[in-house]
Formats: sequence, structure tokens, C-alpha cells
Amino acid sequence: MLKLLLLLPLFGAGLLLVLPARNVDLLRRAASLVAALIVVCAGLLVVTFDSANAEIQFFETRPWNPRLGSNLALGVDGISLPMVLLATVLCFIAIVSSHTVRAGAKLYFSLLFVLEASLLIVFTARDWSLFYVCWELTLIPLFFLIDRLGGANRHRAALNFVLYTLGGSVFMLIALLLLYDVAPGHSFAMNDMAAGGAQLPPKTQTLIFLGLLIGFGVKMPIVPLHGWLPLAHVEAPSPISILLSGILLKMGAYGLIRAVATLPAAALDLQDELAALALISLLYGAVLAWRQTDLKAMIAYSSISHMGVVLLGIAALTPAGLNGAMTQMVAHGLVAGLLFLLIGLLYERTHSRDLAMYGSLNRTAPRFAAFIVFTLLAAVGLPGSAGFIGEIHVLIGAYGRWGGWLTLFSIGMLISAAYALRAIRILSTGPERAVGAAGGVPVFADLNGREAAAAWLLTAGIVVLGLYPAPLLQLMAASVGRLAQQFGI
Amino acid sequence: MNDFATLQVLAREFIDPAALVAVLPLVPLLPLLAAAILALRLAAGTEHGDAQEPLTARIALLAAIGALALLMLLDLAALFGTLPTSVVVGEWLSIGAVPIRISFIIDAYSLSSATLIALIGGLALRFSATYLHRERGFQRFFLGMSLFLAGMLLIVLAGNAVLTFVGWELAGISSWLLIAYAWERPVAVGNAQLVFLTNRVGDAGFLLGIGLAAWSLRTVDWLAMPGDGSAATVTLRLLLIGFVAAALVKSAQLPFTPWIARALEGPTPSSAVFYGSLMVHAGVYLLCRMQGLLLQVPDMMALLVLVGAATALYGGLCALVQSDVKSALVFSTVGQVGMMVAFCGSGLFWLAAVHSGVHAAWRAYQFLLAPDYMQLVGRPARPVPAWLAKNIWWYTAALQRFWLESLAHALITRPTLALGRDMRTLDAHLIDPLVGAPRNDESPLGQLAADELIRGHGLAGRLLFAFSDQVRRLEDHLLLSGDGTLMKRLQRLVDYADAVESLLEQPRYLLLMVMATFAVIL
Repeated sequence: MLKLLLLLPLFGAGLLLVLPARNVDLLRRAASLVAALIVVCAGLLVVTFDSANAEIQFFETRPWNPRLGSNLALGVDGISLPMVLLATVLCFIAIVSSHTVRAGAKLYFSLLFVLEASLLIVFTARDWSLFYVCWELTLIPLFFLIDRLGGANRHRAALNFVLYTLGGSVFMLIALLLLYDVAPGHSFAMNDMAAGGAQLPPKTQTLIFLGLLIGFGVKMPIVPLHGWLPLAHVEAPSPISILLSGILLKMGAYGLIRAVATLPAAALDLQDELAALALISLLYGAVLAWRQTDLKAMIAYSSISHMGVVLLGIAALTPAGLNGAMTQMVAHGLVAGLLFLLIGLLYERTHSRDLAMYGSLNRTAPRFAAFIVFTLLAAVGLPGSAGFIGEIHVLIGAYGRWGGWLTLFSIGMLISAAYALRAIRILSTGPERAVGAAGGVPVFADLNGREAAAAWLLTAGIVVLGLYPAPLLQLMAASVGRLAQQFGI
Repeated sequence: MNDFATLQVLAREFIDPAALVAVLPLVPLLPLLAAAILALRLAAGTEHGDAQEPLTARIALLAAIGALALLMLLDLAALFGTLPTSVVVGEWLSIGAVPIRISFIIDAYSLSSATLIALIGGLALRFSATYLHRERGFQRFFLGMSLFLAGMLLIVLAGNAVLTFVGWELAGISSWLLIAYAWERPVAVGNAQLVFLTNRVGDAGFLLGIGLAAWSLRTVDWLAMPGDGSAATVTLRLLLIGFVAAALVKSAQLPFTPWIARALEGPTPSSAVFYGSLMVHAGVYLLCRMQGLLLQVPDMMALLVLVGAATALYGGLCALVQSDVKSALVFSTVGQVGMMVAFCGSGLFWLAAVHSGVHAAWRAYQFLLAPDYMQLVGRPARPVPAWLAKNIWWYTAALQRFWLESLAHALITRPTLALGRDMRTLDAHLIDPLVGAPRNDESPLGQLAADELIRGHGLAGRLLFAFSDQVRRLEDHLLLSGDGTLMKRLQRLVDYADAVESLLEQPRYLLLMVMATFAVIL
């Protein structure tokens, strides 16, 4: 099942390459179908997964390069499975919502599938070498997707993105090689490296951990390393923004969780520093999001803020904190995905992302307005939305150690409420501004059926997880419990 | 005597005390149920027109009669059998360690009062069915009356202070509803508000009493409250001040009397039962219930005598100079109730109880008859007695009701209003700008400047804006300036590297390098 899941995107990429390039609709339909199949496949994986078992399941391995000790090892546990499902769903949404892509559609969809395949391997890899290779592999499709289809500054954005990530990856690679050196039997397998890492003296562990932190911190992003994010998110075409914000950022957080499991002593040592970074990210992102007039930039910065919550949850190293971090990752994936989807659709219609250009959407496009209001509120973490579950868990998990410092967390939430409500006010109420529609389209059209369906899918996810988070928490419980056990906090 | 004993045996055989006691909670519940049904009918909007009137009246009346019948049975059982002094239905909640039960008290005073209340209430309801025919608020009136009946029955039957307070509030709220019965008239609504607010003063006292009882006596049960006399007098005095204030307000004693004259705004039957006969005696009932505690604090008793006597005098004087029948009646009621309070103060609680029962029955009759007096009496009203007419000071004072209302206005209402105005000014000039309350000076139309759109309001917003400006500058400088200084420096570095490279390409430097390497190795 797992193998099928990973092969399907590659099959999709191959299928698209043989289809005729001129028939764009056919291409899109085929791509959507394959993406839907992948979602179903991931769903089946979740159904057959035994959530009471903390072990790696569906595990299979075969040697890749025996002399180096690298393996093609795959497997999922309660931490990777939600990410796998999230990745497939968001890829599906991205493909369904990319109907404005006409020129070069064939390459576009193929690249998307390559991206999805490498994403899924990152989340299921049980071998650090495989993990690293696919981590780098995600850059190639993304570089081309941003560089070919992005906005005005797309070249700079794509270059910035790749350079930043590569720069971080160098540190990650060095750290991994150091770990490889101490792993019993010189193997890249995650378990072996964890066994080796746990034996190291804390100081060495901390150094290695810092290398990994830089690598993952760029992706996540943690504040001083976030320079690529605003540009990339703003310039990327909106389906790619959905993926960037929804799932690419989660790769960093996911990697960090794995790193914490590999180097527990370092994690314990750096707990306070990580929390400080998390709170800085949280506030920094929120303040800058509040400062933006560009809608996409606003959401981009709010992503930094939300990933700060995830980092705080990870830093707490308690079951509640880790559960919160995971839930927040899923919630943010859905919310940010939905936000970028809606903003992308707005942009398609008006070719403007400037907040000042909009007004009174609830009169001209009621469905749009309703979805935007809901999503912005969900982004704040309104009770009843998935974000609330994540945030409350993180809060509970982190309170025991940092207590009053979490006031900063609350201030961040307050600022996020401020910009979300302001965006709601300007977008959906007030006077009708003269945007109308650009590019010869006479009227500003509301969401059509397909767009609304995509939005409904994500909305349903947010609400269901918000009201009934038990299945998700249950899915993660055993694995998170085992992870937290190492720290005994 | 022999007959009585036989009757007792018979009664014990036919009336099972346990079963009777079990239905006691139904007594206040029946009118409450009627009120609920009426409210539902009102909400459903199915009650319009003449055709619906009899049903409404019947529902309310049936509840009253049902309560009355149950009470009669209980009375019989109490006469001929032995009923327990109290009955506990269940535990409701607890204040700290003090449990509050849904309990009822069964003694001569509570049963007779309840019977009288149900009787007078039923009569007034029957009277109103005709009196209010084709009034617009017919249904509303019966709803209020049923609520009131439930409240009054709860007051006299409740076994603890909290449950009594529930009834107390029910009576208060229904009084408010019925004074504002003609809500189209501003005067009626204003009066209702004044009455309700005055009554809240008493409610505050009641709550204080409950709180102190729970805190210091560790019980709120009426029967357990007197304790064994070991409680500190200071605490008792404070506690009693609360309860006595509540009683004085409800019974319209000085200095709270003015509300009762305003309360006559409602329809006559409601005035009859509220202010003529039933609710006005609730205070006296409360005092009688508190007698165990009151007897332990003699100065409270003295205060009661003083207040009661003063009110009796006040009521009597004012009643003499009133020119309309309802006002005259209500002031003489106040005077009579003042006497009862004075009785309580002198320790004659039994006299106060008997007096209140008789007085209630008599006043109900008088008030219900009040609209007919013009026909019935036939001769002009009696003039003010000569001794009062001669004494101009007393006369004016009585006519002006001793200026109590103007006094309250000057001492309480005006300063409060002035304080409110000051607060409003403070709010508008200081707090609003600080918190950034929205104003109407934003330009509604036209393109806003980008910064204008996201500018924060209020202190927090401005601070955040300034801070975010700094952060953005940092962000722009350090991270986003792709063509900025970083690139230039990199370019310079590349230039240096190029220069070194070109130098190295020249043979002499290469030779030098090789030699240097050898030197190092050696």
C-alpha cells in the first residue's frame, strides 16, 4: 500500500508526459483523477494503520548503496501519517485549483507530481540519506514552478528560495554525516543513527542538533532564517503557494521532530532557546503580518507566526505540546491552504492583491466573503476550528515550563486576531471599491461549483478536526507518547 | 374531645402524611407551570382574540385552585394528624460546605399564610377574568399573576433563605411586569423601573443576609438559623441588618415607602394582591420567620419599633390627605403594616402574624372594590380632618409625602447621574482615544492610502504600528534587499577573487606559491 502510494505520483507524472500537450483540459482532468486516487490511497493507508501500535508500520527496506550503508527504507508511524494525508489532500487541491495554467500545462502538472512524490518520500523515509535526497529533490520542481509561473519578481524569489534552502541543507548534511560517523555499523537508517546519537555526550549532541536546526529552521521557518518565505509565497502562483505554505513548511517541523527523537539530550538542553526562538517567530511574524497591505504577504507572515506555535509545542517536549505541534501543523496546513486558495482565486479575478482595492465582498460575492471570513477566523484559532485544538494543546504543554512567558504567545494571538479581523472588515464590508474585474471580464464572479467544492473540502477538514479532534489525536497518540517518553517531562 | 380523637384516627387512615408531604412542592409549582404554559402560548402567538381569553383565565385559575386544594388537604392533615415540621425534596446546590436543599417548612404560620395567599390569589384571578376583558394585555396579565402567585407561595413555604429568595425575586419581577402593564405609557414604565430598583436595595440586603448566614451560621435553613445562641452578636447584627433591610423594602417601610405609591400604576387586581394584601406583608412574614434571631439582638428590635411606629404615623397622615381612593388605601395599608413591624419589634410576633392575615383579607376586598366606590358610597369624600387642616406644617408635609421622593432624588439620583456624566466625559476624551474606539471621521469612499488602511487605532494600535514599522525596516534591510548592499559586497568579493586569480595565473607568482609550499612542508 505504501509503495503504491509513492509510485502513484510518479505514474501520474509519466502519464501526463505521454498525453497530448494541446488538450489542457484533458491534462488537468487526468491529473485531478490521479491526485484523487492518491488521496484515496492515503486514506486506505490511514484505515489499515494500527494506531495503538507505536512501532513503524508498513516498514520495508532494501539496500540502496551497501558500501555507504544507505537504504531505501520506508515506513510510517503516527507522526508521519497525518503529514502524508495532508500532503496528498493539499496536492489534490492545488491540482484542482490550477485551471488558469494553460501554457506549459504538461510540464506544470508533471512537476507537481514529482514534487508530491518527493514530499511523500520525505515523510515516509526511514533512512536519513533517502530523506536528505528527497528533501533536496523538492527544490527542483519548486524552482521551476515558481520561476516559470510566478509573479513579477519570480526569478529573484525562486533563486532566493533555492539558495536559502540549499544553504540550510549544507549544515544539515554536515550534521547527518557526523551522526553517520557514530552510528553503529555506519548506516544511515534512522534507528541506527538515533541509537548512535543517543550515546554521544550532550555537548556534541547539541552541536549536531544545531546543524540540523539550521537546516530545518530555514524550511520551517524560524525567524532569522525566514528570508526566502515572504518573497516565495508572494511570487509563487497560488496553487504553489498552497503547497509551499500548507505542506512544504511542515517538512521542516517534521524533520525537527525526527531530529529531537534522534538527539534527545540536545533537545533537552536547548529547550529554552527553542522556546525563545518560537516566541520571537510568533511575534515577529504576527507583527509583520499586521503591517502588510498585500494579502498574500499577510498570509505568508502569518505562516511564520503559526509555525512559531509549532516550534513552541516541539520545544515543550511534553505529550500535550507535541500533540499540539502536530495538530497545529495539520490545522495550519488546511487553513493556510484554504487561505491561499481563496486569495489566489481573488487574484485571478482582479489581478490585485492589495487590501485597499477590495471592499464589500459580501454584497458582490457572498460565497467568497463567507469562506474568507470563516478561514480568517479559523486562522486566528477560533474555538471550533482545528487551529484552536492545536493552540490549546501547545499552551497546555508549554505552560508547565514557561508559565508567564506565554503571555507573549497570547499577545501574538491577539495581533493575529487584529489583522484577521481587519482583513475581514476591509474585504467583506465597507464601501464597494472600484476593483470590479480586470482584464476585460465584465463582472466580478463569485466562486463557481468546482472552486467552492475545493474550499468546502478544506473547510470540512478544519471544522471536523476542530469539533472532533479525537481521531487525529488517537492516530498520533502512541507515537507521540513514545517520543515524549524519552524526555520524561 | 372523644370525637376529635376519632377524627384524628380517621384522618390518619385516609390521609397518608408521607404522600401529602410529597405533593407539597406542587403547591408553588402549579402556578409556575401555569405561567410557563401561558408564556408558551404567548410565544407561539396563538392567544389573540376574545375566544382565547377564557382558556387563559382557566389555566391560571385552575393552578391557583389546585394549589388551594392541596393546601386545604395539608391543613386538614396538620389539624388532625401529625405532619413533619419540614420536608426535604432534594439537594439543590451548596455554598462552600453549606448544603442548600429544596426544602419546605410546614408549620401553622406557613400553612395558613400559604392558604390565604392561594385563596386571595384565586379570587383576584377570577375577578380579573371579567375586569380585564378585552384588554390588550390580558394574557400578559395572567402570566404575571401566575408568576407572582408561585413566588409568594414559595416565599412562605420555602424551608431555607435561598429558596425564599427565589420566591422573593419572582414576586419582584412579576411586580415589575405588572406595573409596566401599560408599557406604552412612559410614566408606567418609569414607575416600574423605580419600584424595581428600590426593591433591588432590599434584594441586596437579602443576599447579604444569606451570605452571612452561610458564612457564620453555617446554615441557611430557617429552622436551624437561630442556633443555640452562641453566635457573636456583631455577626448576627450585620446579618439581621441585611434581612431587615429586605423586609423593610418589601413592606414599604420608611425610608423606602415612596415606591409603593408609584406601584399603583398597574391594573387594579394586581395592585390589590401585590400592594394591598400579599406582597406588602412578605416583609412581615420574613421578620416573623427571623424571630429566633431577632430576639437575640435587642437593638434591632428597638429599631423595628422605631421604624414601624414612624411608618404607621407617616402612613396615617398621608392617607388622610389623599384625594383618590387607591392612594388613600395604599397609605393606610402602609400605616397598618408599620404597626405590624412595630409589633414584631416589641416581640409580639404572633400578633403581627394574625394582624397581617386579617389585614390581607380585608385589604384585598377593599382594593378589588376600589373602582366601584364612586357608585357605592354616593356621598362626597370626607374632607381632611379639621385638626390637620389647621396645622399647616403637618398638612403640607403629609400632602408632599414628607418630601421623601425629592430627598431621594437630591441625595441619590442626581449625584449618580452627575457621576455618570463625568464618567462619560472621561470615556470620550481619554479612554476612547486610548483604546481606539471607532469614530465616524473615517472617509468612507475613495481609495485609502495603503498605510492609512492598516494604521492602528488607540494606544495599543499606535504602539504596534510604530513597532511594526521598525520591524519592517529591519526585514527590508536584512532580508529582502536582493539588489542591496549584500549583492554589492558579494560583487566586490568576486572582484578580489578575480584579481587574485589573475595574479596567480602569472608564472612568477605560481613559482612563489610552490616555493612557499615547500618552505612550509620543510
